[in-house]
Amino acid sequence: MNKEFTPRITSFLCKWCSYTGADLAGTSRLQYSTSIIPLQVMCSSRVDPVFLLKAYLSGSDGVLMGGCHPGDCHYETGNYHTRRRFALVKEVFDSLGLESARLKLSWISASEGPKFARVANEYTEEIRKLGENPTRKSIFL
Amino acid sequence: MTEATGTPFVLNTDKGLETSLRGFLRQLLESGNIGALILPLKVPSGDSFAWIMLNDAGMIDDAVPFPATMPVQGAKALRSLTRKERGELTVMALMRPCEIRAGIELSKLGQVNTENLILATYDCAGAVPLQSYVSDPAAAEKNFKEFFITGEPDQNAKPICASCTDFSMVDSDIHFGYFGVREKGMLVIPGTVRGTDLLKKMDLQTASGSELLPVWKAEVEKLTEKRSSVRKIVFKKTEKDISGFTGMLNVFENCIGCHNCQSVCPVCYCRLCYFGSEASRTNPEAMVNEAVKRGGISLPPDRIMFHTGRLAHMSLSCVSCGQCTDACPVSIPVADVFSFVAEQTQHTFEYKAGRNDGKPLPLRDFKKSELPGVHKLVKDAEPGGTSHE
Amino acid sequence: MSSINIEKSAEKGINDLLRHLLGNGKVDAVLAMRMVKSSGAWDLALVTDVKNLAELSPLAPVMTVNASQVLSNLSLSGKKIAAVLKPCELRGFVERVKREQGSLENLITISHTCGGVFPLDLVVEGSVDDLLHKYEKVVATGEIPSNIRDTCKACEHFIPMNADITIAAAGECKPGHGCMIYINSDKAKEALLECTGHHGNDLLDPISLEKLAAARAKEREKLFSSIEKDCSGLDGLVNIFGKCVGCHGCSRVCPICYCTLCDFESANFDYNLPYFEEHLARKGALRLPPDTMLFHMGRLTHMSFSCVGCGMCSDVCPVSIPVAAVFSRTGAKTASIFDYVPGRDVAEEIPVMIFKEEEFPELG
Ligand code: SF4
Ligand code: SF4
Ligand code: SF4
Ligand code: SF4
Ligand code: FES
Repeated sequence: MNKEFTPRITSFLCKWCSYTGADLAGTSRLQYSTSIIPLQVMCSSRVDPVFLLKAYLSGSDGVLMGGCHPGDCHYETGNYHTRRRFALVKEVFDSLGLESARLKLSWISASEGPKFARVANEYTEEIRKLGENPTRKSIFL
Repeated sequence: MTEATGTPFVLNTDKGLETSLRGFLRQLLESGNIGALILPLKVPSGDSFAWIMLNDAGMIDDAVPFPATMPVQGAKALRSLTRKERGELTVMALMRPCEIRAGIELSKLGQVNTENLILATYDCAGAVPLQSYVSDPAAAEKNFKEFFITGEPDQNAKPICASCTDFSMVDSDIHFGYFGVREKGMLVIPGTVRGTDLLKKMDLQTASGSELLPVWKAEVEKLTEKRSSVRKIVFKKTEKDISGFTGMLNVFENCIGCHNCQSVCPVCYCRLCYFGSEASRTNPEAMVNEAVKRGGISLPPDRIMFHTGRLAHMSLSCVSCGQCTDACPVSIPVADVFSFVAEQTQHTFEYKAGRNDGKPLPLRDFKKSELPGVHKLVKDAEPGGTSHE
Repeated sequence: MSSINIEKSAEKGINDLLRHLLGNGKVDAVLAMRMVKSSGAWDLALVTDVKNLAELSPLAPVMTVNASQVLSNLSLSGKKIAAVLKPCELRGFVERVKREQGSLENLITISHTCGGVFPLDLVVEGSVDDLLHKYEKVVATGEIPSNIRDTCKACEHFIPMNADITIAAAGECKPGHGCMIYINSDKAKEALLECTGHHGNDLLDPISLEKLAAARAKEREKLFSSIEKDCSGLDGLVNIFGKCVGCHGCSRVCPICYCTLCDFESANFDYNLPYFEEHLARKGALRLPPDTMLFHMGRLTHMSFSCVGCGMCSDVCPVSIPVAAVFSRTGAKTASIFDYVPGRDVAEEIPVMIFKEEEFPELG
């Protein structure tokens, strides 16, 4: 794979946990992948499955969903719904033979700065191995 | 036919019409006078075309400037690009005359912004029905070639094309004319000030088309006459088919209410059609009561209401492109009806859909004294109505 | 629960049944397929006068609209209605009721073991009468007619799941058996107390339908594996849906897609110029109107787990995309991860409305 390839990972992070976790990683001066493009959402359940599809079809090499650990959602049950919807979108991808590895769900609490950095780095590596998303260049979408 | 606004140029067609047009488009894009082109490209499965906006000149070779069929009415492509926001990017779209006319109609309806669009048309020999193309592209291409050469849509073309009289230069900025002159060259005719300016800026080092222009015109007129006479015959038949109490019922009796005809129609632009909305939902109790009154009713309800309502809503803007017929899953000749009624309603208001002649949409305008026929109807309806005398 | 046997053909038997229901005021109206005799055109009819029942062909293998769409509104009329539905129409209606698009309360649902329906173009092309004879013969032996919808051939739910009344119309009917009517609810039992025929306690015997079930399973495997081959990966997806003209007919005729204004028609997917410019800068070209693949993938995530495989979408597609085959194949997968069967039980909630605290441990 091309060494120059810098993946772009659209990352939907919930305000109360994952985004705060990402902030903590930053203030703790932990190095994490610049591929992560963070977008703050109030809760992971705010992310309509269509957002994931749109990010994928618009050429994001990876799409990361970050939320509070199950049971810890600020809105109590939001992330349980997120998990179901995520399973659903993944299944749609698998059924169509699309690379569902380009979608990732991770529970990251507000205090897990190091976990955020680790997930960001590992996922970036995974995507780097997968290579560029073919949607980046496809004109008939 | 619209008149040229400047001197036409001639493109060399020794290598065929398509090659010469592609060459022109490439030169235009590379000149920097436009930022992007909208052209048809074959879809990867090879059995249809899609509108592609491109600024990579290398892709022009993949474009099919004269596609054999019309999958998405081009005005819809223009709408999707400019409905929300007009921008500084100048884009030229090469489309069939009925597509550009629909685009102009949509601009009056506030759905397309033509400010930075260059609208280009070409002499249109007709198109093959979408279903024929999809089911056998090779045969459809062969059939298309045949009438593409004569300029006379035959039985393999969409039925509406044979009676279309706006198949050549319309109110586009640039028109490519080749009927009757294709051996000698293709005319590049400016149709607006914008078109004239663009051609001037391009500084084409090609021959002037002043000599070919009258030859082309004569051919277009000849073909127009032919198509006009077909039009008369077709309209007579449609008039007969839909007239009377049961006419519409018979024509639309297979209608399943899918609204495909409306959703592919370029001028039916409403996001939520009234006839699909809550407001138009029949009260269920009233529906059963109605059934009780009649012993039974046909469902889904209001199918004739939908079609006549659509005629009232948009026939003034119908450009007779025939997309509705192509999209109907039960093969109803929707466009025959719409195009016939459109001619009547447009005639009543001395309006022609798709023109850029400064005339406002008829329903946005009125004169204090007009439509004597309506006055007569009103009078007749009054007690002791006078006009019978 | 119980059964009635009428010594007539299934068509005539169901007519007697409807006559009983409407004639004795058990219902106010009957909803069923009808062929307009004068022209051969088909429609769904709501009949309120017993005299007009003879016009109906309730068991005909024709589906002009998935009747569940029409039934949604009708079911709120407060009137009692007997609706004759294909199994997939009934399942579609159950899915709609879960989405608050109708009510089962005032309905007597009548369904039948289903041999499949003809594609619409076959219906409008010629006379269904001619095709019917052959169809009935093939269906009675438990085989699959070659000219029915692709998804019908592949349908495994041809036995109605929760109809008030089930009519035997497909599979190996023993000759001379007449019309078998199976009664599955108290509501139906009460309405049919005085219906003519031999009342008994026979149960619909799926064993006699095993041959059809096996044939269907085989067709399903065949259809799904051909879709798996053709619609795989981004290239496959573009190959299948690349010619879509964006008419959205497939979603309008879908019994599950009930939204008055589909998200994909909404202003959410109108873009400013910079959006288009970004695409031009990145790949030199893009399709107009945009979002063709988004629409289909979006619809798959919105509703595929509830897809009943009726095949309406394929039938109305102006460019002959096998929409229904793709949707029912993906639907089978998305439903199965939630152990969900669309239309099985009205009490079963739509998978995206509920969750379990412990599930999908591999995610997150
Ligand atoms: S009604 Fe039919 S023929 Fe007229 S503009 Fe609409 S799609 Fe074209
Ligand atoms: S496309 Fe055909 S079937 Fe559908 S609503 Fe229009 S006329 Fe009726
Ligand atoms: S019916 Fe066919 S053309 Fe229309 S939106 Fe669906 S797949 Fe596309
Ligand atoms: S695709 Fe989604 S938003 Fe559109 S009608 Fe279907 S369920 Fe509703
Ligand atoms: S607030 Fe974090 S997942 Fe709901």
